[in-house]
Amino acid sequence: MVSLTINGKVVRAEEGEYLLAVIRRMGIDVPALCQHEAVEPYGGCRLCMVEITKDSWDGWKKYVTSCLYPVEQDLIVTTHSDKVNDLRRGILDLFLARNPETPLIQKLAADYGLTRTSYEAIPEPNDCILCSICTRVCDAMGFSAISMVNRGHGKEVAPPLHQAPPDCVGCLACAQACPTNYITYEDVGNRRTIWNKQFELLVCDKTGRPTITKEFADYLIKNREIPEDYFRIDDASHREELADKMGRITRWSVTEEAK
Amino acid sequence: MRIESEKQLRDYRKKLIEADKKLVKKIMVCHGPGCLASGAEKISAEFEKQLKKKRIKGVSIESVKKTGCHSFCEKSPLVAIEPAQVLYTRVQIRDVAEIIEKSVKGDDVIERLVYHDPKTDEAIEKYPDIPFYKHQTRIALRNLGKINACDIDDYIRVGGYDAAVKAVLHMTPDEVIDEVKKANLRGRGGGGFPAGRKWESCRKIEADVRYVVCNGDEGDPGAFMDRAIMEGDPHTVLEGMIIAAYAIGAKDGYIYVREEYPLAVINLQKAIEQAEAIGLLGDNIMGTSFSLRIHINRGAGAFVCGESSALMMSVAGHVGEPRAKYIRSVQKGLYDQPTVLNNVETYSNVPMIISNGADWFTSIGAPKNSGTKAFSLVGKVRHTGLIEVPMGTTLRTIIYDIGGGIQKDRQFKAVQTGGPSGGCLAEQHLDLSVDFDTLTAHGSMMGSGGMIVMDERTCMVDVAKYFLSFLVSESCGKCIPCREGLYQLYKLAIAISEGRGKEEDIARMERLSDHVVVGSLCGLGKSGPNPFLSTVANFRDEYLAHIVDHKCSAGVCKELIKFEVITEKCDGCMACISACAVNAITGKKKQPHIINQELCTKCGACVAACNRDAIAVF
Amino acid sequence: MNYRFVVKPELCIGCRTCELACSFAHARNGKQGRTRIFALDGGFKDLFVPVTCLQCEDAACAKSCLVNAITRNPETGAMDLDHEKCVRCMACVAACPFGCSLIDEQHELVVKCDLCGGDPACAKFCPTKALEYKPVTVTALRPAI
Repeated sequence: MVSLTINGKVVRAEEGEYLLAVIRRMGIDVPALCQHEAVEPYGGCRLCMVEITKDSWDGWKKYVTSCLYPVEQDLIVTTHSDKVNDLRRGILDLFLARNPETPLIQKLAADYGLTRTSYEAIPEPNDCILCSICTRVCDAMGFSAISMVNRGHGKEVAPPLHQAPPDCVGCLACAQACPTNYITYEDVGNRRTIWNKQFELLVCDKTGRPTITKEFADYLIKNREIPEDYFRIDDASHREELADKMGRITRWSVTEEAK
Repeated sequence: MRIESEKQLRDYRKKLIEADKKLVKKIMVCHGPGCLASGAEKISAEFEKQLKKKRIKGVSIESVKKTGCHSFCEKSPLVAIEPAQVLYTRVQIRDVAEIIEKSVKGDDVIERLVYHDPKTDEAIEKYPDIPFYKHQTRIALRNLGKINACDIDDYIRVGGYDAAVKAVLHMTPDEVIDEVKKANLRGRGGGGFPAGRKWESCRKIEADVRYVVCNGDEGDPGAFMDRAIMEGDPHTVLEGMIIAAYAIGAKDGYIYVREEYPLAVINLQKAIEQAEAIGLLGDNIMGTSFSLRIHINRGAGAFVCGESSALMMSVAGHVGEPRAKYIRSVQKGLYDQPTVLNNVETYSNVPMIISNGADWFTSIGAPKNSGTKAFSLVGKVRHTGLIEVPMGTTLRTIIYDIGGGIQKDRQFKAVQTGGPSGGCLAEQHLDLSVDFDTLTAHGSMMGSGGMIVMDERTCMVDVAKYFLSFLVSESCGKCIPCREGLYQLYKLAIAISEGRGKEEDIARMERLSDHVVVGSLCGLGKSGPNPFLSTVANFRDEYLAHIVDHKCSAGVCKELIKFEVITEKCDGCMACISACAVNAITGKKKQPHIINQELCTKCGACVAACNRDAIAVF
Repeated sequence: MNYRFVVKPELCIGCRTCELACSFAHARNGKQGRTRIFALDGGFKDLFVPVTCLQCEDAACAKSCLVNAITRNPETGAMDLDHEKCVRCMACVAACPFGCSLIDEQHELVVKCDLCGGDPACAKFCPTKALEYKPVTVTALRPAI
């Protein structure tokens, strides 16, 4: 355990923990756009920057992204100093130039007193904030079907060569994890389309309702040793089967007892 | 044969020296990038062809050595005759026969081909007397131009692998680290972090696997020091890595070379094979339990992959994006294992430190900045090329003594050091000592060693714009301050260069620069605004002239200039008329010409074509 | 002590108080959550069975979770789903053979029984003791789920 000071309060934290986790646990609101618990911290959005110093540093201050900075004994952290707020405002100003119509950005910027960017907005803006959560989640799931492509200002999320990604199983994790709902998909009947790839959804034997894609189920059967027949029916039918079984046992045991 | 003791190496070297003595004359044909581009390969082939026909005592095909960069690139292709130390410049194929006849067969010097002092026109026969070489001290580049790059025997003959044998067989890893620490060898890739301390902290981390990595991803525009070393003296890099790997306890080493350096890849590969063949690399090096395999990784050309953490990501097969270095790579680097990463030039200094001792090394250079630094001196300087000077040499010495001053004796304006993320230093900085600390203190940086000299015809806004555009396209895009911040900075710089800037833009850009500097994830972003910050600090008037007066005094920013014929000077030769691609110039023979401003695209072709300086830029 | 749900379907009157209690216990942002327990038709006249997660030993939900968001809580013994980690790929929903990983459409979450941190609301509110949460011994005759 180490002890450190955050906004004047002394707190204890586990060694190896990152600052942001400790800050959030204290209920302090530090914005972070590229943070997702399922994946390793990234350090791309820079909004979780905090000011750190130590008594032994002779007044020298450092600005670090709290999502990546491991806690240290005797660290003194300020989450909303003037300089940090100015920095966040500056970064949100840049975000607004890139994503002027994204509600998430607009709201966050408004929190820091910005309604519109002071820069020239980029031509053809979209809602992608390039937080890379989607690609990192896809990596964490073990598929790596999509990736960040190009670099610098032309960076974007895309499947290989902008074509239907061969490794995608259509689990929708990327779309679900996207903080701005930029990644779109379409479910029509038992057909799913994402990243221009068509998938067939398994349907429940009993209700005919679609569940997950055949590719995803195959992956789970093969790599996670889930019995194939688990995917035969949907969750509601599973519950009904369970209730039915338990009903039979009950009736049997009650009759046995009566005998 | 496998070398397993110091004596064996010495005996082998003796044999090589004996064999070498039989060659009375050697013809060192530079096969550096500049000379190859001007046809060095054909020249060495011609030498071989002609020598095959002629019978000259003590001279054979063996005498023709295809060496690494002779470094006086401006005069390429270069041919040196050893041991006479005569350097022939701008050699053509038709000169080969004459060189063989006069300088190889005989001992004459062909005056026409040697270097002439540009001011006095005096011929200087021996290259150590040429000012370009006279002020240099060569440690990292010591073998360039002296040996055949692809021949381990040549390297061993001049003392190669002495240091590796000494370190591995006669020193403990701690002694090696101590020696490098005492020498205060600072990272030549630009960071200037002491290599010895890096090795020490890596060794101290408990781990089963450690790595040595060599950064050969030299991406700065105009820089080619590392390329010259990798192409011209690959064994010195390997030797440095062997010593480093032995010191930290690594079994695997990686050299990350950019794909744009195919010859470096080929030569390094050959060098690795040669070293493995005699037991200096591979399993059980020199019969000890120490093993090292060196692998070559080719980078696909992203500038950011020269950044240490991005480089390691790229080696490991991921997208080359940097990561935050709150946990340093000596702790968790390549494949999350403790890793020592040094630059090519740093590794090439290591063998000399081990051989000659730390005291010798610290006797060269400036306090806290021992040793030398290689630079590629380019731009508007008279003698461009590869140089190596002791730290603490002044910019004036480098530019005026070694570089021979500014081309066409124009006015010096600025010198850009440290690559795109470095900065521009002005006239008042010319007497600054060139070392890590001084350059950083004055808003530039050492960087990997690019040095671009600019004259009065260079517009500083345009320079900032150029480097920003480079950084915008080379930013990896992972973090927003660098990706969007540099882009907006670039946009504002364009606005100023096109005369659309406002006075408050400078303050805005400074504030944005501060956000980028503080907010960015890696060194590329943190130093990204430097081209702007250092030009605005030293040339604020020029920015204001663009914004307020809509003038570009250097005559570069197209939107702000116009070309006009000075009627008094024009003799009506019509040279400009034929040079103009858009037919914007009209006029009759022997009568002053006129430029139609509406058609003029401001390409500057007419200025270049005019022999009488009769076209002026306003 | 080994706490388990002890279910006596013959006592269940299908009043669905358990469902209501669960729904309120898992309210978020002032909105009720989806119930994790269901009082279902037992297949015979007037026989109802409360069905909820069995906190399986070798749980298919945890095995199917590719980001390891479902882990055993050492204190309660429940298979807890970390909503922050969950990427809503629905693998567990499809994989659970008892249909007890669910989609909470209102909150856009995947949910499952977490034993309310050791004191399940459903059992507390069952008016007929058809559902109890109590320590069980190996000699229990009733099917303990």
